[in-house]
Amino acid sequence: MSDEEFRGEVRAFLEQALTKEIRRAGELMTSVFADFDATMAWHKILHARGWIAPDWPEAYGGTGWSLNQRYIFQEECKLANAPALLPMGLQMLGPMLIHYGTEEQKNYYLPRILSGEDVWCQGYSEPGAGSDLASLTTSAVRDGDDYVINGSKIWTSYAQHSNRIFCLVRTSKEGPPQAGISFILVDMDARGLTVDPIVGLDGTVEQCQVFFEDVRVPAANLVGAENQGWEVAKYLLEFERGGHNFTIDHKKQMAKIMRQANSQYGPDHNLWINNPVFRAKFADVAVDALALEFTELRIKGDLQAGGNPGALSSLTKVMGTEIGQRFNELSLEVMGDHALVKQLDALTPGYDGEVIGPLCGLTTMAEYINNRAATIYGGSAEIQRDIIAKRVLGL
Amino acid sequence: MFIEYSEEQTMLRDSAEKYLRDNYTFERRQAVVNSEQGFSKEAWQTFADLGWLAMTFREESGGFGGGALETLLLCEQFGKYLVVEPYLESIVLVGGLIEAGAHPSVREEYLGRLLSGELQGAPAYLESANVADPLRVETTAQPFGGGFLINGSKTVVVNGPEADLFLVSARTGGTTANSRQGISLFLLERETPGLSWKNYKTYDGRSACELQLHNVKVDAESVVGRIGDAYKFSAPIMSRAIVAVCAEAVGAMDALLSATVEYSKQRKQFGQPISRFQVLRHRMADMYMEVELTRSLLLATAWKLDSGAPDAQQCLIALKAKVGKAGRFVAHNAIQLHGGIGTTDELSVGHYFKRLAAIGVMFGSRDSYLARYFQS
Ligand SMILES: Cc1cc2nc3c(=O)[nH]c(=O)nc-3n(C[C@H](O)[C@H](O)[C@H](O)COP(=O)(O)OP(=O)(O)OC[C@H]3O[C@@H](n4cnc5c(N)ncnc54)[C@H](O)[C@@H]3O)c2cc1C
Repeated sequence: MSDEEFRGEVRAFLEQALTKEIRRAGELMTSVFADFDATMAWHKILHARGWIAPDWPEAYGGTGWSLNQRYIFQEECKLANAPALLPMGLQMLGPMLIHYGTEEQKNYYLPRILSGEDVWCQGYSEPGAGSDLASLTTSAVRDGDDYVINGSKIWTSYAQHSNRIFCLVRTSKEGPPQAGISFILVDMDARGLTVDPIVGLDGTVEQCQVFFEDVRVPAANLVGAENQGWEVAKYLLEFERGGHNFTIDHKKQMAKIMRQANSQYGPDHNLWINNPVFRAKFADVAVDALALEFTELRIKGDLQAGGNPGALSSLTKVMGTEIGQRFNELSLEVMGDHALVKQLDALTPGYDGEVIGPLCGLTTMAEYINNRAATIYGGSAEIQRDIIAKRVLGL
Repeated sequence: MFIEYSEEQTMLRDSAEKYLRDNYTFERRQAVVNSEQGFSKEAWQTFADLGWLAMTFREESGGFGGGALETLLLCEQFGKYLVVEPYLESIVLVGGLIEAGAHPSVREEYLGRLLSGELQGAPAYLESANVADPLRVETTAQPFGGGFLINGSKTVVVNGPEADLFLVSARTGGTTANSRQGISLFLLERETPGLSWKNYKTYDGRSACELQLHNVKVDAESVVGRIGDAYKFSAPIMSRAIVAVCAEAVGAMDALLSATVEYSKQRKQFGQPISRFQVLRHRMADMYMEVELTRSLLLATAWKLDSGAPDAQQCLIALKAKVGKAGRFVAHNAIQLHGGIGTTDELSVGHYFKRLAAIGVMFGSRDSYLARYFQS
């Protein structure tokens, strides 16, 4: 099948499979997450079609698509306003289990990730361990067939919706800090585990703090050997960073700004699209976005040839997030005072009341606010630049 | 140019700083923001009692004769303590315009009560057809039985839900929808028949509304300023309002810089305070430079406006453009350097960020001022 035929097939599927409500949830996204219920509804539809995990090996439920086809699929989903799927199970834990998990773990957990029966969250960061993740102190002490976990994880995205959490825990204080960390899978129903929501800047809850008080977890839930967790986590982080396709996000952002600039008036009652300052600024960001698009294509080429993108994934993380933030700023300037109106209810997909101000500005401020986090999570912009300096430039 | 504050001015700044530091804590501010009412009655009354509300009004209006510098001194502190009370809307704009051009009987009736904190006002000048351009007025006021009949709608009327008085712009003439001539201002009581509204909150913790005007009858005395001359007539007050928000921005940036410097000294990663990392030290040095450059422009602008300097407008345009850029730089980096904790509702950092974002777009965004700077 040619790529174009494939694209046609994907489009035809999206056309009939994306219900109005699910599409609405995609349109109303103001962060990397969409409305939870709509996300899971979409997850189940894709699962039923067999398209839930294109990046997984076919033997484990993948689609067997080429890299190009996977890219086309992502792009078409995004442009059709499909809500983003939760990455914690599909993008992070799944590939990691395929690589490091035991047969039992794979047989049990992978199908549940695919079906959406399990919703996973990522328990890495702690109040005292952010950029310096290896300094984490949440401890797991072996007691018979169990580990007993004490401590706390923070910024855990969507923990309030999850039934499982994968954690990095300290199993040894000997040697360098990286050498005493293990990777463990925890049932959120376990006794002694509690979840506190954290209200974000837009007034909604996406992150949580998770507390562990003598939480008992079967030792069989360890992934990799005891004290091998850092290696496991590093493998996973590469997926978190390299797996994202920023160009698709940028294309969607550009299309949105174009709609805004074609409908909103600026100084001297000129449409923004005709305003020379706006045009120059838009072009400036768009040129960087184009350069990044070709960088992502280079990476894809390397991957196809069996190479490893290495530190180029740090480049795309820094540039991808910063370009996205610049687009957010442009949107804000175009929407002006309209963006100040806070209408959280109108940002939920089921809402059918009145919307204040132009529809194209409904998400602008929340997107601008929430996207500041993009240069903080998944390795901050400073840490990524450090990685480039060290690994690429040998400094 | 050397600006030396008078003894009264220094006292005003110090007393505002002291009062707000001791009483206007972030926790109390948040309690107000999250309450049904968008402001604290108690705080507003105190602002009036301390003479702040009347500070920049003429003595014959019951004020203390202050100018742009006094506006700056107060608003900088309001910015630093994230004050949400409607000083800008009720006092600088509505109070300022009433003093400048309301009919004497109207002024008599309302100004004193505004400055004593008894009444509040909200300027209603934005329309959804174009929020970037205050000249884009489609609301009409047609002569009607010796007065006017007003029809139209206004958007993002900040402090609208609390206002007893609305100051509404409407077109009484002018050939095109965005002509400078032909815009007039009208002062309306909330009870005026034909007004209706829909209230909401804004991201920066204010209350605001959409205002509909349907066959609203007003008498000739409710016109503020000369008929058809609102654009020219309100210009000095708009300038003052821009100084006010820019001063607020400088106060907010200052607070963000201090908070970030403090946090970086306490927060440890990789076994050391993050303030040791050179890239963060340089970033904070850059933040400092942006704050001070903006402060210089602010001081110069206020001083030039007060002394009627010929280049005051040019400075004002530069100031608003600079605040757009510096405010963003400082706020973005304050959050960045705080890491995850900076993205929460719990810390004040994010609330300064949202206020700076709002100030960035209010009265036109940076781009429009850059274009005007080039023209001037
Ligand atoms: C929206 C959001 C979602 C998240 N979701 C999850 C999740 O699901 N699971 C999870 O485990 N975590 C999650 N995180 C946490 C995220 O990974 C951390 O916030 C991140 O690692 C930074 O850690 P920190 O917040 O403690 O900041 P810190 O590490 O304290 O950093 C503060 C500042 O110091 C800088 N800095 C630190 N070290 C250096 C250095 N060596 N050189 C130069 N600068 C330095 C940082 O770049 C930053 O600017 C999320 C965070 C956010 C904001």
